[in-house]
Amino acid sequence: MKKRVLLVGGKDNARSLALSLIKQGYHITAVNDTYGDCMKLAEIDNLVVINGDGTNPFVLDDAHAMNCDAAIALTSKDEDNLVICELCKKQFHVKKTISLVSDPKKTDFFYQMGVDSVVCAITAVTSIMEQQAFMEKMENILPQGEGQVQIAEVPIPGTAPVVGKKLWEVNLPREVIIGCILRGGKTMIPHGNTQILTDDVLVLLSGNNQESDAIRELTGR
Amino acid sequence: MGIFSSKKNKTHTIIIGCGRLGANLANTLSEEDENVLIMDKDKDAFRKLPLSYGGLTLTGDGTDFDALQEAQIACADVVIVVTNNDNTNVMIAQIAHEVYHVKRVIARLYDPERECIYQEFGIDTICPAVLSDKEIDALLTKIPATVKKFEFTEETK
Repeated sequence: MKKRVLLVGGKDNARSLALSLIKQGYHITAVNDTYGDCMKLAEIDNLVVINGDGTNPFVLDDAHAMNCDAAIALTSKDEDNLVICELCKKQFHVKKTISLVSDPKKTDFFYQMGVDSVVCAITAVTSIMEQQAFMEKMENILPQGEGQVQIAEVPIPGTAPVVGKKLWEVNLPREVIIGCILRGGKTMIPHGNTQILTDDVLVLLSGNNQESDAIRELTGR
Repeated sequence: MGIFSSKKNKTHTIIIGCGRLGANLANTLSEEDENVLIMDKDKDAFRKLPLSYGGLTLTGDGTDFDALQEAQIACADVVIVVTNNDNTNVMIAQIAHEVYHVKRVIARLYDPERECIYQEFGIDTICPAVLSDKEIDALLTKIPATVKKFEFTEETK
């Protein structure tokens, strides 16, 4: 059976999310309180659109919220998103609720109120921008576990201060370890006496956002 | 002695939303000599308060954690949420109750359908539509004295 997903609110983000979810074979219902936005959403094939206020229980009832596997709240107002998720959870027993939140300080509060997944656009965008801005030399950072742990790939240029040094000689921050070295297509798990060479790619595991200090230490910038 | 003991027992009340209800409530409580702070994001809203109002006012968004901390919400005995938006009231009431552990939280809800969210959290709600409904019903049951008489006379005819 097709999985059912309910999208409440949002204009462009609802549109692009609906398109990609429908492509993946989900059954999508979109609820929006602006008639114009509904008309725009209705242009998408196979999308059920309902014009109404998603914070109203009977509108969610019309959208068959009780049969949905997941509900995603995308409005621009935090309070509306919270009410949508709580109604879906408590009144319609939707298994998974996901909410967009604009105030980063409310992320924890939303989790505390029983929202299953909270996405803060501002935090996400800021951290991506930060990475892009001052770490051109870095290929990848993958945030893990709510962004508490980062995995970063750091290429070592010939000018780096650590070239030729052994790992124990490098003064890394406490919560950073070099988990792996990629050298000429080979993978090696390093130990304290491993020497760092030019063109190595170090895979760092770091907690507490200390990866930028570690990268400065390793590449000298 | 009486002065000291009464001072100690003063309750600290925060009212969020300075509309007609909020302003009236703030004034009543301050006349009863309680510590009252009223909060609204629009500073012009405080014009609704009478000149005699003796409590505090704070301009700030009640959904913002920093503004609530400025209002010293953690020390409040009672928080009354009466903004003109139900969803805002739901969120502020939950923040007060769950994050700052305020014991008594009262919120106004225009639409009684959303009450189910509150019930689980132990937040008291006031619904103007339900209250008016009861009041009108009470008025109607009072009046029938004359209506009944009329019916009675008709029946006896």
